[in-house]
Amino acid sequence: MIIPALELKDVESGYEQAMVLRGVSLQIAPGEIMALLGKNGMGKTTLLKAVIGYLPKRAGTVQVFGQDVTHWPAHRVARQRVAYSPQEQALFAELSIRDNLRLGLSSDKGFDEGYAAMTEHFPFLAGRLAQLAGTLSGGEQKMLVVARALMMRPRLILIDEITEGLQPSVITRLAASLRRERATHGTAMLIVEQNVGFALQVADRYSVLKRGEIVAVGATADPSAEQIINSQLQV
Amino acid sequence: MALLLDILTTVAILYAVASGLLLIFGVMKIINFAHGAFLTLGAYASLVASNLGLSPWAGVPLAILVGALAGMVVELLIMRPLYARPLDAILATWGLGMVIGQLITLAFGREVQFVASPVQGTVNVWGTDYSAYRLLLVVAAAVIGIGMAALLTRTRFGLITRAVIMNEQLARGLGIHSGAVRFITFSVGAGLGSLAGCLITPLSSVDPNMGIPWLMNAFMLVMVSGASMASLLLATLLFGAIQVVVSTYFSPILGGLAIVVLAAITLRIRPKGFARD
Repeated sequence: MIIPALELKDVESGYEQAMVLRGVSLQIAPGEIMALLGKNGMGKTTLLKAVIGYLPKRAGTVQVFGQDVTHWPAHRVARQRVAYSPQEQALFAELSIRDNLRLGLSSDKGFDEGYAAMTEHFPFLAGRLAQLAGTLSGGEQKMLVVARALMMRPRLILIDEITEGLQPSVITRLAASLRRERATHGTAMLIVEQNVGFALQVADRYSVLKRGEIVAVGATADPSAEQIINSQLQV
Repeated sequence: MALLLDILTTVAILYAVASGLLLIFGVMKIINFAHGAFLTLGAYASLVASNLGLSPWAGVPLAILVGALAGMVVELLIMRPLYARPLDAILATWGLGMVIGQLITLAFGREVQFVASPVQGTVNVWGTDYSAYRLLLVVAAAVIGIGMAALLTRTRFGLITRAVIMNEQLARGLGIHSGAVRFITFSVGAGLGSLAGCLITPLSSVDPNMGIPWLMNAFMLVMVSGASMASLLLATLLFGAIQVVVSTYFSPILGGLAIVVLAAITLRIRPKGFARD
């Protein structure tokens, strides 16, 4: 039996009195990329925050590679080699590129090797280690966020709307990097997106979240996937 | 020349006192109003070392040890349960300061006591004879400042601490145990407060309330400095110099008010004080 990279069972979570996730269940296999789609305010970001441990779970369980992390604090979940890239304030703007990348590792050992690998993914990083992250362009900052996530050689990556506001060329590069990472290291990914085209390009499967509930699940290779997703997003 | 040396040594003392408070404020986003009590603990550690007939220098490690241990206990038992309630945490440090003051009174009495300086005599600086111990304090403050800067910018622990200061939630999502960072920081900050108390002991009397005026000045300096060691140095240089000038040429009482008044005016004009935007 294959142990899922991520498994949510009947998860309920939210902010103080507001319940956002209402019995969410989903499963991601090792090496699988799942896109989580939905309109604004449907609970996508909340789901990622619940998985990483920022939000308490009122019901249900969260397992990462078979380990029950339901009530673990965020730093313990992350140390299971779970990389989380939030949508906003995802970088330490006043720290250098080097320091942001160092924070992706549990120790400085292995930095040179990791950095060399990241310059292959994102050539703009070469020779700019001392530059402050806050001075990078929007697209470069998003790529640095992904590079930091990949530095730790994660088993599972959680990415929140990485394509928002980016040029098509940057989106294409990010898609290529994520697929290459999966192909090379078998990394599982949960990608929260509103960009359906990017989701279909990168992911193996999709889920649609509506008002805190999963309302559709399918394979992106299914010819009717885009139609199903769009119909769910329009309702 | 004497005035310049007075300014230099006053700035050094203020910086030594405020640095631990700033460290705790930077990481925990709370003002530790027990800092004055930690300073007093350090002074009494120095007094105990002196009364035991130990080397005059023995007070320094003893003060650091006492302060850091007290900081560990306080962080574990008082601060940690109040992380989610910062206002309550600040009030708790205020109450804790009073409790520590009362415990010191119980143990040592209310009377004013004195500790001899480990360094006697004067040094001639460009024609001016000046207290060797006060000059030594400049070196001590420089060591504290450089040591803290090196810790924060040259070590992995410093990087992690800066990450927690800048965005604690993001840091936790990267696997950083921010609770451990808070514990270490609070302990180091308390230890620095006690060290400062030990260092200023030969310059002033020792009594259970000696930390209060130092706390007020350090508090105002931290308020105008944000969480930056460089801003703290700038604020301390500027306000410390004015304090000495006012004390020398006008009145020591007015001089004692200078930092509080200047900080209040600065914050009124520029709410961020000396911190960068």
